[in-house]
Amino acid sequence: MRWPEGWKDPAALNLLSGAAIDYLLIPDGSEFSAVRARARQLGIEMSAPDRTPAGVEIVKGVWPGVQWPTSGAGAGPTGVPWVDSNGWLIRLNRAQHPDSTVWVDAPPPAKSFITADAYLIAVADCASHGGRWIIDLDSPLAKSLPARDADSLAIWKRLTATAAFFAAHKTWPDYAPVGVAGVISDFAGDNEFFSRELLNLMGRAGLHYRILLKERISAASFESLRAVSYTDAAPPAPDLRRQILQFVESGGLLMAAPDWGEAAGAPIAGPQPAGYKLRAAGKGRIALADDTPSDPYAWAADAAVLVSHRYDLVRFWNSGAARSFYTLSPDRKQALVHLLFYADRGPDSATVRVAGRYRAARAATVDNPKLGDLGIAPQGDGVEVRLPQVSQYVALELDV
Amino acid sequence: MLKNHTRRDWLRTAAAAVSGAYLAGPRLGSAAEAPAGRVALARCKTYQPAELTPAFRRMFDQLGGLGKLVNGKTVAIKINLTGSPTYRLGYEPLENTHYTHPAVVAATVQLLGRAGARRIRILESPWATADPVEEYLLQANIEPRDILRAAPNVEFENTNYLGSAKKYSRLRVPSGGYVFPAFDLNHSYQDCDVFVSIAKMKEHATAGITLSMKNCFGITPCTIYGEGAGVDEPSILPKGGRGPIHDGNRGPSKSAPQEKDPKSPRVDTWRVPRTVADLVSARPIHLAIVEGVRTMTGGEGPWVSPYQKAVEPGVLVAGLNPVNTDAVAMAVMGFDSMADRGTPPFENCDSTLKLAEEAGVGTRNLSRIEVVGPKIAEVRFDFAALRRERGRMPERPLGMRG
Repeated sequence: MRWPEGWKDPAALNLLSGAAIDYLLIPDGSEFSAVRARARQLGIEMSAPDRTPAGVEIVKGVWPGVQWPTSGAGAGPTGVPWVDSNGWLIRLNRAQHPDSTVWVDAPPPAKSFITADAYLIAVADCASHGGRWIIDLDSPLAKSLPARDADSLAIWKRLTATAAFFAAHKTWPDYAPVGVAGVISDFAGDNEFFSRELLNLMGRAGLHYRILLKERISAASFESLRAVSYTDAAPPAPDLRRQILQFVESGGLLMAAPDWGEAAGAPIAGPQPAGYKLRAAGKGRIALADDTPSDPYAWAADAAVLVSHRYDLVRFWNSGAARSFYTLSPDRKQALVHLLFYADRGPDSATVRVAGRYRAARAATVDNPKLGDLGIAPQGDGVEVRLPQVSQYVALELDV
Repeated sequence: MLKNHTRRDWLRTAAAAVSGAYLAGPRLGSAAEAPAGRVALARCKTYQPAELTPAFRRMFDQLGGLGKLVNGKTVAIKINLTGSPTYRLGYEPLENTHYTHPAVVAATVQLLGRAGARRIRILESPWATADPVEEYLLQANIEPRDILRAAPNVEFENTNYLGSAKKYSRLRVPSGGYVFPAFDLNHSYQDCDVFVSIAKMKEHATAGITLSMKNCFGITPCTIYGEGAGVDEPSILPKGGRGPIHDGNRGPSKSAPQEKDPKSPRVDTWRVPRTVADLVSARPIHLAIVEGVRTMTGGEGPWVSPYQKAVEPGVLVAGLNPVNTDAVAMAVMGFDSMADRGTPPFENCDSTLKLAEEAGVGTRNLSRIEVVGPKIAEVRFDFAALRRERGRMPERPLGMRG
């Protein structure tokens, strides 16, 4: 937690009792000496805000939530609202720094009224993806909370209950992401903007992806994927090209920029998707872009269609601005699907379809950590689950 | 500033004023001369093919048989997938409330195929996207393969944009039109010998009811007629809905035929029924099907009213004339097909049926229509009574328009 500059009385540390907050970023300066001393007595770790603790990667994130469009042409009541999320950033940093914990520095926007539910989303957006939001109170709350007025305490309790909820599930970050598409890149240099934004926008398009770092790809990296995207400026090294083509020949789809180089296989006759030429290679296909892609939004949208919504891992109804993160336990006996609803209230009469054959589903929420069993309706290669009225985060556990 | 008036009150007042004051548009043919034909009714309680397919087969036979209509021909079918595929009425699947049920489409396709249709195109203009219709259906949890495999040479086309053609097709309104003299549409509406409209039996927030004719409101591509349409030329991709046709706050892309009179009322309850009448004149419907096995009351989609509910009328209506067919469907719904503005379900809007009748498309007069199958009274599901009940509920804000 970023310690508020106005909290110079160590008594404020009493707020942390039972709050699952175990690290403080306390400003330098002698006026905080008493706070530091008391924190030390309580066994709470701390450092100055500008120092990154060992084993931690601090990334600059965004305040998560919905950005409503100002024009009617982009989205309407049935359009797709724009959601800001730190999920992709946490996942990328965890992939790049597997031995570190990712902390997200994303303070609340100034001059905004931050609700208790907005804090719930801020914590859950990060924690569900295996990171931690650096708790950062908005100025009015930081000012009013030490006086413990009822409204401020209610917000604080919601925030700390959310942190405690995830602290009680320490194994969840070990669950492996499940995806239908793999994004292959070094995520650096000339490729940084496009590849990183592609992760963000694939999530927005509802396309579940796995991050495939170029330098760490093995045959296992392609397991269970239906497609991979390669858009880096330089063509892949021969070994990587061979691995990708093996994936295609065994039935996968490769979406590639022209810089991929000479494409294997033979042209597929018939209508082509706009902006691509399709080629058949073994049992799979290559969708070679006509032009160097410049718009990750379009590439993500194209990917969702080229892969096909038939293979959606999660579908929502009546969810509003929702996203999901599908993970599998290390023993593969349980799926955990994090459901995040970014609007200012949770959904009513929402239904979620999860791909996979499961025999039971349970839900847990911050308000009700043991919400219990939910009925499931088997539906082909998936199950449909009707959600009761819930708040903005649901952990949906499904037993194989 | 007006006080104690709701938006609905305002629309009601404004629309009544313009309807009375504005008489622009063609003075058209006599209603007594409008074509009258046969309309088939059937009870059908489920979407099981074992019940659905024989019901349709019997109805089509009663209409004279599909063979002479479609043998060796290209058939285009406009289905209804209004609104987002992720928006349900409660927990109900979309096809049980406001989307044309895929089993109905598949059964029709199968029978068209058996009757010798050479090619069958399933058409829809899904909300704000140029993605394939199949992908839209999948997001709604509907399997397009069940339709594609129902007959040989079946394909989908998204008609919300240019699609697979090199240019839009211009279809003229023979009578000159109420609002538009002609429309620029996706090629599929011209590249067909037979045009079928398969609608869901529903009420509609703007047009009172949405049946086989109102279903054709969605044949207009949003690249030309939508909120994100190009100013001079059609946009490449569709954005938003058809607000400009509703409100007249802007015209279609300049490359397309413009409104006849830009000074005509800018009120959706005046404009939408007239535009629909123009559309079904420009693109005649050869086979009209209204599906009411399961549907919803209170509007065309779950966004309209807080008092909507899923219902099971268990009825199918089909005819070779869309006005005749919609008239019978209205009667099945408990409404008077001769109703005019001010009478349910047209309390606040003009009757599309009346306008289409006056344009010479077909009669809405039940005494001139031969109804075959069960009697209307035997299959009636009283939407009108449920509408009266809703009318007694406290008013709440309107949602989006479909």
